[in-house]
Amino acid sequence: MADPATTWLDRIRGLDLPERIRIMNVCGGHERSISMAGLRGALPAAIELIPGPGCPVCICPEEDVYEAIQIARREPVILVTFGDMLRVPVNLPRREIRSLEQAKAAGADIRPIASPLEATAIARDNPDTPVVFFAAGFETTTAPVAAMLAGGVPDNLSVLLSGRRTWPAVAMLLEGETPGFDALIAPGHVATIMGPEEWSFVVENHDIPSAVSGFTPESLLAGMYSVLRQHLEGKLFLDNCYEEVARPGGNPTARDHLERVMDVVPAKWRGIGEIPASGYALRPEYAGRDARRRYPGYADEGRKRAGQMPQGCDCARVVLGKIYPNQCRIYGSACTPRDPVGPCMVSDEGACRIWWSAGIRSEDAA
Amino acid sequence: MCLGIPMKVSAVDGFNARCEAKGVSRDVSLFMMQHETVSPGDWVMVHVGYAIQKMTETEARSAWEIFDQILEATEQPA
Repeated sequence: MADPATTWLDRIRGLDLPERIRIMNVCGGHERSISMAGLRGALPAAIELIPGPGCPVCICPEEDVYEAIQIARREPVILVTFGDMLRVPVNLPRREIRSLEQAKAAGADIRPIASPLEATAIARDNPDTPVVFFAAGFETTTAPVAAMLAGGVPDNLSVLLSGRRTWPAVAMLLEGETPGFDALIAPGHVATIMGPEEWSFVVENHDIPSAVSGFTPESLLAGMYSVLRQHLEGKLFLDNCYEEVARPGGNPTARDHLERVMDVVPAKWRGIGEIPASGYALRPEYAGRDARRRYPGYADEGRKRAGQMPQGCDCARVVLGKIYPNQCRIYGSACTPRDPVGPCMVSDEGACRIWWSAGIRSEDAA
Repeated sequence: MCLGIPMKVSAVDGFNARCEAKGVSRDVSLFMMQHETVSPGDWVMVHVGYAIQKMTETEARSAWEIFDQILEATEQPA
């Protein structure tokens, strides 16, 4: 039986902490648990919990969203995508159609889904209509997309893939001049799929204490206690505080599907640029399933502000953990969940949306 | 879409499992669980309709405590 959260809090409070220590998480699920459980307020003030690159919707290339909108509007297709993607705006003048939601309102057949299984079901139910699955996500979502393709799909289904790998973004931060954090809580479900070992480089190459955590306050606090002790004692290792689910080697079937169906490629992150080995692309054997091949010419990367975050929006700095959500210039004023400007306020996994849902307002101390 | 949901398996038919959580029943793919045997009564962590790993009931119930809080918070108007 795991120790309760209060026990972990007492242990953390009992540590002889430095004046300031910054712990980054890289998972929207972690950030949501931290915010909803009120862990920031419960921990000693010296501990800063920084939400990092943990929201796949937020970093999905603006060009890919634009491409999806154009395919949905100009081709006779049904476009399906995870619900979070519908409201993400692209950089076009306000008089133009700037999101999949607006394209849907204008008549395009765009359907939100919660699972790749729904994409195959829609394709099966509409055999005479091409179905395009716009699939953005990290390893936890991309592995099921690979499984879907490996299992066989109807001929009329193609995939507009925007899959991304989490650790290369953390590697990019660590290789920068100011990583901005002193310890890392590694994502529990990415580690469940890919194996905790993927995060060893953080400790071995960069001397940053790290722990894989689950999503309960107990597991998160256990991870925080571990990295704090590692930092204080100078004995660094990759701890696993989610051992039951994030097992050594990860999920071998899921990894096998990924390797058979997709290649690892350099990939763009919205507002950040290209990160080496951070994306997935369909392997040549699956080229016939590639929506970019079936519907070429819609990316239009030469557009003004293509690939960037919306004007005035600080999402890119929020994603990289350089500022807290409520330090963005438009958090809570021009940008709210009801009328979001940046993807971090759109997605349930965006740090801005999570902080707003947890009741944190722009004037509150970070 | 990254949020994993712990569910209890009630029936298995090939790569398809009927799973339940909070009184809701849905079909979950076991296509990513081919390295393990999944049986009725097992708990699995489900991501976008696919089981990604088995887990104990204790871990599942603990995870649901925080999810209940999240659901309560997100059901309130923004």
